[in-house]
Amino acid sequence: MVLIVMSTGFLLILMGLYGSLTNRNILRMIVSFTVTNTGVNLVLISVGYMPGRTAPILDETVAVSEVAQRIIDPVPQALVLTAIVIGVGVTALMLAYAYRLYETKGTLDISQFTELKW
Amino acid sequence: MVSPLVLLGTPLGMAFLLGMLQNRWRFASYGITLLTMTCMSLFSADWVLGFASGSLVATDFSTAGAPPPFAISLRMSLTEASLILLVNLAGLFSTLYLKEELLRIGRRGMAVLLIDIMALCGIILTRDIFNLFVFFELVVISTGGLVLLSDDQRAPSAGFKYLIVSQLISVLLLIGIIFAYHSTGTLNIDGMAAASLGLLKGGALAFFLILIAVISELKPFPANGWALDIYESAHPAFSAIFSAAASSAALFAVAKLLPMGGESWLPVVSSIGLVSFLAANLFALCQENDRRLLGYSSIAQTGLVLVVIGQQDILGERYLFIAGGILLAHAVAKAGLYWLSGLLSNRHLTAWTVLRQSPLLLFAFISFIALLVGLPPFPGFYAKWELVHLLAQEGRLAILGLVLLGALVEAGYLFRWFGKVVKRSDGGEEAAVFSVAPIKTLVVFAAVAGGWSLGYLWGQLSLFDNILHTIPVLFALGFLLLERFPVWLKNSLAIVGLVSYYLISYPAYDPMQLIFGTVILIGGGVILLASYSVSGRRMGFYPSAMLMFAGLSLLIEAKDSFHFFVAWELLTIGSYFLILRGKQSEPHALSYLVFSLGGAFLILAGFALAAEGVELFPLSSLSQVTADKAPWVFILLAVGFMTKTASVGLHIWLPGAHAEAETDVSPMVSGILLKAGLYGLVVLLLGMGKQQLYGVELTHVMLWIGALSALLGNLMAVFQEDAKRLLAYSSIGQMGYALFGLALMNHLGWLMALMFVINHYIYKSMLFLSVGGVAKRTGTRLMYQMGGLITLMPLSFIAVLIGIIAVSGVPPLSGFGGRWIFYNAILTAEYRLPIILIFLAGPIAFLYLFRLIHTLFLGQLKDEHRQIKEAPFWLIVPQMIFVACLMAFALVPGVALRRFDLYLNQFFPQGGLNWEGVSITSQFGYWSPVSIMVVVMVIFASLLGWLIFVNRKAQKVKQFNMVFAAERPYRPETTHFAWNFFAPYKKALGFLIQPLATRFWGMVMDLLHTSADLTRRFYTGNGQTYAIHLLAFVVVVYLFSMGSL
Repeated sequence: MVLIVMSTGFLLILMGLYGSLTNRNILRMIVSFTVTNTGVNLVLISVGYMPGRTAPILDETVAVSEVAQRIIDPVPQALVLTAIVIGVGVTALMLAYAYRLYETKGTLDISQFTELKW
Repeated sequence: MVSPLVLLGTPLGMAFLLGMLQNRWRFASYGITLLTMTCMSLFSADWVLGFASGSLVATDFSTAGAPPPFAISLRMSLTEASLILLVNLAGLFSTLYLKEELLRIGRRGMAVLLIDIMALCGIILTRDIFNLFVFFELVVISTGGLVLLSDDQRAPSAGFKYLIVSQLISVLLLIGIIFAYHSTGTLNIDGMAAASLGLLKGGALAFFLILIAVISELKPFPANGWALDIYESAHPAFSAIFSAAASSAALFAVAKLLPMGGESWLPVVSSIGLVSFLAANLFALCQENDRRLLGYSSIAQTGLVLVVIGQQDILGERYLFIAGGILLAHAVAKAGLYWLSGLLSNRHLTAWTVLRQSPLLLFAFISFIALLVGLPPFPGFYAKWELVHLLAQEGRLAILGLVLLGALVEAGYLFRWFGKVVKRSDGGEEAAVFSVAPIKTLVVFAAVAGGWSLGYLWGQLSLFDNILHTIPVLFALGFLLLERFPVWLKNSLAIVGLVSYYLISYPAYDPMQLIFGTVILIGGGVILLASYSVSGRRMGFYPSAMLMFAGLSLLIEAKDSFHFFVAWELLTIGSYFLILRGKQSEPHALSYLVFSLGGAFLILAGFALAAEGVELFPLSSLSQVTADKAPWVFILLAVGFMTKTASVGLHIWLPGAHAEAETDVSPMVSGILLKAGLYGLVVLLLGMGKQQLYGVELTHVMLWIGALSALLGNLMAVFQEDAKRLLAYSSIGQMGYALFGLALMNHLGWLMALMFVINHYIYKSMLFLSVGGVAKRTGTRLMYQMGGLITLMPLSFIAVLIGIIAVSGVPPLSGFGGRWIFYNAILTAEYRLPIILIFLAGPIAFLYLFRLIHTLFLGQLKDEHRQIKEAPFWLIVPQMIFVACLMAFALVPGVALRRFDLYLNQFFPQGGLNWEGVSITSQFGYWSPVSIMVVVMVIFASLLGWLIFVNRKAQKVKQFNMVFAAERPYRPETTHFAWNFFAPYKKALGFLIQPLATRFWGMVMDLLHTSADLTRRFYTGNGQTYAIHLLAFVVVVYLFSMGSL
């Protein structure tokens, strides 16, 4: 299970990277990056997952004394949450940029924005 | 002290507060932003002071009431405090600078700026790796926003390229973090270091991903196209933050992470830094856009700090001093330069010529460049000195060499830029506009003040003296404050300063120092008399000249390698500014500087090798260098000194630099400055004596170099059309003689070399002054455009006549004394072939000297010169003093030489001279100055009388009593006898003076430029290409580090 999730995650990362490096359309690149981000989040979760344990919520089903043995590590999940939020922020910024770039040149082709070079 | 949490919370809270304000309350929002930045700067300054005074110790602050690994912790120590002070000050001044833009955009822009600064502080303070990631992402987002502040249409594309790359970086970082967490069970950096992440299964890969992600934020070559585009197009105030603050924060992050991986990763970091340093400096050579050039330079400097971080295993407790010196100097200088660039409307390097309208801004500009290059008295200088010494001590010579090479290239393009700014015409109608914005200017000067204070601070912290505490340097810098006053006042002050410094110090000099000291200080004062002929204020002349004299006087007083090197750098810089003042001297001053700094770096490397870890290496210990290193030290130092004496092969800077300099500067740089190189050689040879490398006697090699310099320098002088160039080439020959004398390594050889020091000073200064005076009156330096000036400028004629008699070494003047000692010296030497060369050089000197006096003063007077007068009074005065000196020195050479002869006995007991009575005797013969003078005078007087007697009835022919043929030559100068004066000799000997050295160095420069121009084209400007660069960089570094670990 963990292996499947993790391989899916890495697969998504590679797909996303491939997409972002081969598509010249800026919007397609942004979509590819969100795919990559999803892949990264999957990897994070899969690494933090511990088979056979329960969610890290302390209520009457989990006794405090055996918390360390029963629940999975909550930290990776917290990290994923944070990473998602940040990912959303960056994606929004990239979209805003896409809009701005389209305004300046009337195109979304990344290879058209090469005045700055050398 | 304010808790670090508050430091992070304040800007965050204020940014939220700004979000709740109304749009139209622009000034209130700006006020809040400014106030927040001010408070943050004060809070961090408070921390810095606390740590600096020793009342605080490094502390970890846990958040959320739990220690790590259960919660994030922040650390505060002197390093963190200084860095957040840097970040906050950069933020504060950029906020001031951005006033107009921020008021236009409104509170949102200000909030983003606050977040950016807060996130940079967070990167510095946090000890939690995921927290680090969050702060990096905040920097990415706020950078994305701030790039749009620019009104450059291209900025959005640069920002987007940055976002693409930062996506990749965050992928690497996140995956690295989660696997590192998986291996160690903690997110705390210290916890990971304690668990030695790098040694765990999979931990090395995880660490690599984290490290490479953070390093990528440093814009390493080649994964840095995006950063250059941002530097080029963003608002300069943001670029200042981006370069000064963001790079520093990311560098600190790298330093913080490294303990997690262990020492084996240090070479990887060093290599990345070194490659970036070299490549970025190389590419900067071809830049014409100011901000892009500064961007390349930023990347280079960041690379250099990365090298230092990678070398921390050998730097010990000096690590922070070295890294901090380079980092802070770079940050202040780069922020200042970006702020300065915001005052100018045009982005071409030459557009900076408008800075000339404001001497203060020009001073700011050169201060920043000196900070970047690491010249004394700035922190980079102290840092580089210690870095090089520690590298040499540990035998990391490849790194040492490459660092110095990169630094030389960097100095080259920065000073080339400075030369353009000072010398180029300002472009007429397309001239850049220079905006006078009081606040922005003030911000620039804040950076200048910061740079100089850092220089002072680093001087205090250094293991050695503070350069800013030495009297000569302060005297020179003091002239900066006197710039408003007229020349006569400053000149008098300068002369009084030189002479009184001599009077104070000479009792402590030994005879060797006395000779050099007299030439430098008293000689300098005499030449400065000529400067009275200049009227006005002469901005920039006196600080430069006095800096050179400060360097020279400190040089002869130096007892250890540090002070020697400081003096060497000071005199180089001062003389560079002096030479740069000439009308056409821009390229020549640059080549002078590049050769001199190259030589200085060789000297630095030589001293570092010799010191072997001794903190303050006394020059007298040169004799105790271990036998395996000694010849290499000797070569490095000797070649370094020979760049200053312009020995053949390293001479190409001299003719232009000396010929194009101003009238009173030429004698200073020729008559006095060249002696610095000789002094260095004297110190070196006294210390190390004869050295052998693979069986080759190195002093023998020097002998050959000296002989070749004498021969070729003289030969090249023969074929010059330009009178000052002729004199300049002749200096190469004269220095060749002196080098030859020293390399003989016997008593008389040294005596002769010292005699050359005095003689060459007197006659070359005199000739440069009289030829300069002639050039001033006639408006040309080309000899075929002059002639017949003897009646119009008789005093100049007398000076030249006496001068050439002295130079050529014929009786009765002191040149003959030099020759006499010289012939005695070579009779005892065992080398035959170089002696033949040096004999040949003698008659060749006659050729150019004859040409000089003949074409200038004899022959036909030119029509357009009929009205000219004698050279200005103040140019004549020192010449007449020199004439008197030459006469006196010819009659009683013993006054100067006798003491020195005795002094030499302790080094070379054999073969001294006998000074009894009026004549001087050696083992081969005697020399009686007075009787020679009498004999020559009698012969001269009787011949002159006879000539007058036989010519008493001669008919005077008017100049134009002749017939012209009806031919109008295509090039009029070809009909003048003085043009190509020695054509037959040129046919016969021209092959000897093919400009091989010029061609060789030209080829080196072309090669550098062409390769830079070709390789920089792989920055295609396409964001996707940049992403591929990054991935390729990661893969290559991975393979490299796996191979090396």
